[in-house]
Amino acid sequence: MSTETKHIRMSAPQTESVRRSVSQRSQFVGLYAREVLRTFRNPWVLVITFVQPFMWLAFFGSSFSGASPALVQEVFHTSSYIAFLLPGVLATSMLTVGMFGSMSTIQDKRFGFMKRILLTPTTKATVYLSKVLGSTTRGLVQIPVMIAAAALFGVTFAGNPLMWAGWILGIFLLGLGMSCFFLAVTASSTDWQTPGVISNFITMPLMFASGALLPLANFPSWMQAIASVNPVSFSALLGRGIVVFNTADWSYLGYLAIFATGMLVAGTAVASRYLKAE
Amino acid sequence: MPSDAIVTENLTKVYGKLTAVDHVNVKVASGTVFGLLGPNGAGKTTMIKLLTGLADMTEGEAWVAGFDVRRDPMHVKQRIGWVASEVILDDDFTAWENLWLQAKLQSLPEWKERAGDLLTYFGLNDRRKDRVKTFSTGMRKKLEIALALLHQPEVVFMDEPTIGLDANTRRMLWDLITGVNKEFGITVLLTSHYIEEADALCQQISIIDHGKIVASGSPSALKARVESDFVELETGEAVDEAKLRSIPGVTEVRSQGKTWILQVSAAEEVLPHIFSTLKTDEIRRINVEKPSLETVFLDITGKRIDQAGADVPDYRKFYATMRRARR
Repeated sequence: MSTETKHIRMSAPQTESVRRSVSQRSQFVGLYAREVLRTFRNPWVLVITFVQPFMWLAFFGSSFSGASPALVQEVFHTSSYIAFLLPGVLATSMLTVGMFGSMSTIQDKRFGFMKRILLTPTTKATVYLSKVLGSTTRGLVQIPVMIAAAALFGVTFAGNPLMWAGWILGIFLLGLGMSCFFLAVTASSTDWQTPGVISNFITMPLMFASGALLPLANFPSWMQAIASVNPVSFSALLGRGIVVFNTADWSYLGYLAIFATGMLVAGTAVASRYLKAE
Repeated sequence: MPSDAIVTENLTKVYGKLTAVDHVNVKVASGTVFGLLGPNGAGKTTMIKLLTGLADMTEGEAWVAGFDVRRDPMHVKQRIGWVASEVILDDDFTAWENLWLQAKLQSLPEWKERAGDLLTYFGLNDRRKDRVKTFSTGMRKKLEIALALLHQPEVVFMDEPTIGLDANTRRMLWDLITGVNKEFGITVLLTSHYIEEADALCQQISIIDHGKIVASGSPSALKARVESDFVELETGEAVDEAKLRSIPGVTEVRSQGKTWILQVSAAEEVLPHIFSTLKTDEIRRINVEKPSLETVFLDITGKRIDQAGADVPDYRKFYATMRRARR
């Protein structure tokens, strides 16, 4: 032990007068920063974040490269399928962000870190919200990368800064809502497999029963019905209207706000009750 | 509000059909090291979970640092520190970042000077910018204790803090725990199934078995309860229990597998009788235990606390015992 022991300024527990108020702001900042730092200190996360958008656009975006421009124009109402695809891919990428927040939560439970957190004056709601926002932030990083990738593929963009801000807000709300959903349904889980299973279960129907990848007009009526309440559709259609057609249907943003708020309220209530320390 | 650091009244926790903590009443005086001693599964960790608000109590009341755990859990959590049996740190963070996060979780506006002091105290200041994953087990344990002390808690819970550590690191931690208590004036509740650990560190001990407190007191008072010595005897061939009971000075005989545990009035007087009653080649191992917390536990529960918890391997006990027997 150090010889400086006697100089330590703390020989008695602190008194009531210096006890802190428990606002949860400090806890939220700490836990959110931890989520973000941990994510971006992982080199694999960085590599995948930057490579994945290019892969999406290269593989999926090239699927109509052999089609005649007239056919592309007729089906997608634009000459560039990549431009059509971009808002849909960004919306789809938000489907999985919650999975990472869930996995991070389960890791914290299994390694005991959740106990460390919950043995401080930190509420379960704060833990939940920090995880939700942390995973949403992780998803948002793909937006500029994807847009830059699309630009490299020769896409030109319509819209103005206000429209773009609204579109990005819409993507954020979609990611927030999906993260809330994921973290709420896995609040009491300690099984590594759970987030992956749920992700597999919901990603396909939400991705294909939406206007993310293909125009809704060609869908059968039952899929159109699903797409009409699918938040992935709201984000994709909002973005496509702005990026491709220079029009913003703000009602989609309203739906996404309702979706995110509903998930946030419900998820916080669920996590406050069911989030387990281990 | 109770003036003791920890008070429980009929504290009970039931999981399904299992009563993990059964109407426990304890009082831990402020500024002391209190040991909760018991075998694995006795209810020690559940007690800590109940006292820290990590688990809901089924019945009873508990106060920590003067606050009702059930009604004021956040006030309790502002006043407690926690050191786990396994080291729990964020390995991707540096030592300093771990302290920063702890400061955030405890809403500490000014923490840097104190964090620096603690790193100096624990000899980690030179490594403050290194990621924790590069630390040795001892360093990680020190950092974990530093985290527990950062917010100047009134009570620190240490849940089997030395489990799985080598003997040197364990001794180092004993010094740290003593320092935390004496130099920082903090109440420590320590759970352990290491008899010698509780004996060395704790001013008061409660022995817990199957969720119930079966004995409480200072180590010396508990040892004074046991007036007998214990002779542990392992024999090569089956020995008739009646034969052992007939040995002068033997007051009780219990069998544990191939081992016999003889409760005797005074081991020095009984050993010659044992050697004369049994053939020497029948005896594979013999071990004498004077009154200790181990024998207290043995006396109360009829079984050993945990063979795996013994710090000294059996062969060393054997040679020590034989040397004593020869004298």
